[in-house]
Amino acid sequence: MNKKEILKLAKGFRGRAKNCIRIARERVEKALQYSYRDRRNKKRDMRSLWIQRINAGTRQHGVNYGNFMHGLMKENIQLNRKVLSEISMREPYSFKALVDISRNAFPGNKNVVLPTRKADISINV
Amino acid sequence: MALLCASTSVIFSSSSSERPSFASLKRTIPSNQSSFLGFFPVVALSKPSSARTTTLSFSKRDFRVCCQDLSLVPENQRWMFEESEADGPDIWNNTWYPKAKDHINTEKTWYIVDAADKILGRLASTIAVHIRGKNLPTYTPSVDMGAFVIVVNAEKVAVSGKKRTQKLYRRHSGRPGGMKVETFNQLQQRIPERIIEHAVRGMLPKGRLGRALFNHLKVYKGADHPHEAQKPIELPIRDKRVQKQR
Repeated sequence: MNKKEILKLAKGFRGRAKNCIRIARERVEKALQYSYRDRRNKKRDMRSLWIQRINAGTRQHGVNYGNFMHGLMKENIQLNRKVLSEISMREPYSFKALVDISRNAFPGNKNVVLPTRKADISINV
Repeated sequence: MALLCASTSVIFSSSSSERPSFASLKRTIPSNQSSFLGFFPVVALSKPSSARTTTLSFSKRDFRVCCQDLSLVPENQRWMFEESEADGPDIWNNTWYPKAKDHINTEKTWYIVDAADKILGRLASTIAVHIRGKNLPTYTPSVDMGAFVIVVNAEKVAVSGKKRTQKLYRRHSGRPGGMKVETFNQLQQRIPERIIEHAVRGMLPKGRLGRALFNHLKVYKGADHPHEAQKPIELPIRDKRVQKQR
């Protein structure tokens, strides 16, 4: 790459690394190495964030992440963690239903929540 | 056996209360409106006829749903957008990141906790979790999504064992020979708030965000605090061993 391309990639760097080619070249090489590594790390970090969000959401209902996932695996619900974290943020009632399904998957569980019957739910239009 | 039970998953869009809650069954767009907010039908539970049914009692929970502006593009502006964007932003395939209006300091919850006869470390752990926002499903590590916590009666916080006389608090002035050591008792006589602040600061992340989070902790010596205007609510502590056993 020639100097112009390197200095274009060095925009926003600190100090002489954005102006002087000898320093910018080193920093740009490092930056490109970091971006290569972090494209792979991003997938790990995102999954970890989803798991933390799901954990927080389930703990609001008294269940922790490990038991929740175990229950979902038992019921063969194949929702992935990305979607589960979005459900826990945007659709709290659906998420509570999922937590109940996971809790009911274990026989001998004392906190079994029975699902509501459709006959008892009326829709106001 | 595998499917999500349709009868249990009644999907609500628990939108914030200031929006007018008109119910529409289909997400059709009236052409004379400039912005349209899609709503799911408002479901009301009738009185349970048998003892077997359960009521969805969410009145005590604080279900804050992050910004749900399901803005469909009206008909006369559809030509500006590509096909894939015409139905609004894709919320299910992209991970939500908070915008500025999702963490305004003036709208955060304030909690209050009485530290009298509570074990120091267990109390500090719960406080740190709430300040950082790790109890919320909208937790984001790079953004301050947590709540404010007021601690009163800080001088009555308890520790187990012989820590009262044996736990040391150290600080260094930077000069050689400048290490100052104090016991828990001595620090409690001198500046009792510092004990809880020291404990919580050790449990918050270290860095710019951690220092900003630390400012959300307010510790006071007596039972009074100047934050009545923020209407603090009781901090829910789930740890069963936080109370000192007499």
